[in-house]
Amino acid sequence: MITVNNKEELEWCEGMTVQEVLDEMGYDYPLITVTVNNQLVQQEDYATYEVPDNAEVNVFHLVHGG
Amino acid sequence: MAKAVKSGPKKIDISINGKAVTVTEDTYLLNAIMNAGFNVPTLCNHKDLAPEGACRLCLTEIEANGKRSLVTACNYPVREKIEVFTNTDRIKNHRKTLAEMYLGRWPNVEVIQNLAKICGATDSEKFKSELTDENPKACVLCSHCVRACNSFVVQNVLGFAGRGITRHMTMPFGETDPHCVGCTSCAYVCPTGAIQIADEMNNPADPELIRFHGMRINAMMSTHDKLQNRMREVGTANLVEVMDNYDILPVHNYKFGQHPDTAKIDSGVMKRKYFTQDIADGCWMGCSVSCAKAVDGFELKTGPYKGQRVVVDGPEYETAAGGSNMGCFDLDFIVEFNFYCDTYGIDTISYATTMAFVMEAYEAGIITSEHTGGKELKFGATGEVLECIHELARGEGFGVDVGQGIRRLKEKWSKELGADAKFLQDIGMEVKGLEFSEYVSKESPLQQAGYAMAIKGPQHDESLLVFVDAINNQAPTIEEKAEVLNYFPIFRTWFSLLGQCKLIWNDIVPPDNSKYPPNEAVKIPERVEDFQKFYEGMTGEPLDEEKMLRQSERVFNLQRVMNYYLGYGTREDDMPPLRAVGPATEEEYISRKERYDKQMKEEIGIDPDGKSTREKMDIIREYRYKRYNELVDAVYKKRGWDKNGIPTVERLQELGIDVPEVLAMLKGPEK
Repeated sequence: MITVNNKEELEWCEGMTVQEVLDEMGYDYPLITVTVNNQLVQQEDYATYEVPDNAEVNVFHLVHGG
Repeated sequence: MAKAVKSGPKKIDISINGKAVTVTEDTYLLNAIMNAGFNVPTLCNHKDLAPEGACRLCLTEIEANGKRSLVTACNYPVREKIEVFTNTDRIKNHRKTLAEMYLGRWPNVEVIQNLAKICGATDSEKFKSELTDENPKACVLCSHCVRACNSFVVQNVLGFAGRGITRHMTMPFGETDPHCVGCTSCAYVCPTGAIQIADEMNNPADPELIRFHGMRINAMMSTHDKLQNRMREVGTANLVEVMDNYDILPVHNYKFGQHPDTAKIDSGVMKRKYFTQDIADGCWMGCSVSCAKAVDGFELKTGPYKGQRVVVDGPEYETAAGGSNMGCFDLDFIVEFNFYCDTYGIDTISYATTMAFVMEAYEAGIITSEHTGGKELKFGATGEVLECIHELARGEGFGVDVGQGIRRLKEKWSKELGADAKFLQDIGMEVKGLEFSEYVSKESPLQQAGYAMAIKGPQHDESLLVFVDAINNQAPTIEEKAEVLNYFPIFRTWFSLLGQCKLIWNDIVPPDNSKYPPNEAVKIPERVEDFQKFYEGMTGEPLDEEKMLRQSERVFNLQRVMNYYLGYGTREDDMPPLRAVGPATEEEYISRKERYDKQMKEEIGIDPDGKSTREKMDIIREYRYKRYNELVDAVYKKRGWDKNGIPTVERLQELGIDVPEVLAMLKGPEK
């Protein structure tokens, strides 16, 4: 099980990547910052960075507009 | 577990001068070489501009599948496994010859002299010819200026004319182009000083400071907007699909945040079928965001201009989202609605939100076709909405009623029709008499308070915080939320004080913004610094965050006192309708039952099992308003206002605005 934004829980599976977490959460906003266990993950690594079990994933959205 | 997984960019293993390196697919080879710690000389390359491959100095040898070839590293995207050699004899000879040619033509230009030194070229006589230009600030045809004019401010005022030895940089027809806005991007990127700034308009204290920070923003727009919000491509309309995906796009008078038909009005459709100019149409010349869009040759189907082809500005996010709020998922309608609102001088947001309220009232049977002049004003009634707008413009019929806005309609219908005033209050999305702009705030206390407490009424000039708590789960405590609600409205007011556009602040974000902790990152510190430096560059007076906020606080508090004096500035005036805070109808509760039941169980501590939807709605309502009021208390305290939301005399003294005229207004609303 992993935790997203200290709120949502997602079932973990072997080889799960950051991109899979984003897809599962429906997070497709362009202005996001992702950390896995407080480690910053670069956008170009989303598809390859593996999320360990029990990880705390934070997906930080910046609002724009207005 | 995951649904359709997107494939991210591939990683490719390459070697550079024998050093093994992994790069992301499509990385330009020059960047890979530099990142690996090797240097390659270049003249035409610039970190903020798209590569050109013009100067040929970055030629590099690559070997792929046993075959060697020469490529310009700056514009060669890595797509396969290659071996790279940056310093072979072949390349060294080539570079030296090129550098000698440059040196022969521009012997006194410093940047050329430095390159020649790096390339081992010392003989400036070898290629001396009638083309030789002794000017130490000669143009070396690197094209930085041409590219910056295009990509920094989307203007294309500069270009090359002539071929071969007559090639030169110029404006069209060799004349001064009136389209040049004097942004000075060209001078900023010029490596030789060939372009000089002749006139500093408005006598700024430190033009260089303004230029440096302005160019920092321009450069970032040019390189990162296409990867971030695509403001130049589709403007704010990019938010339509985003908000739908996050359940925040208003649908049917804010009952819901998503709809299957959103794909019919999203920015993709606008781009494919409506936006015609395919260029960034800046609302003021020289703006590097250039988010304004236009639809050309649009044939109107209704109203006084029926059958005519017109140019329509936009549509922007709020106008399109007004469409979904009225249940009108039809871009032909939205563009026509936009045109007539603009032509008649009607605000698209207030009108769409009022009409969404009217439609809900119609569907709930509060009003009937008897009141609407025979019009069936159900959600999605595009033709009827346009009819109402034309009626309003002519000053006749039901359209005039709609033009009064939600607050007056609520009063009128409860008085004249005996309608349920409480229900109208619950679903009428207005605060202080102004209609809400187009975001669903139900799951975000910060958005609720940011809107309802805004001086001008519920809109995003002061704050747009919907992601901060609802998605990011930042600021979980009341105290943290109050801090956010104290900072942003005051910070954002500063832009209005100086007549600055906020889009430049938060629509283009530096890639390294993530180095800040979330509560700082959300402020976008580098951009804030840019604005502080603009102020300093113009006035000569340094500005830090404390001073910046103090400037705003004085005005913000004065505005609140004026609101109070005019009868719109107490706690009661900061209260949102139920629809902004939670579900106002059973239909809404049921549509997000899982979410509300979970909150009831986990946050409120009440078991939802066995309770009717109505009972559960009452529990959610009570909880959410209680939470809202606690938040309001904390914000008032932070702002130095009393429990009724009125600034105290001590606070006005502290801000230095306790002048007699202001204190007189504190005595109470005008009778």
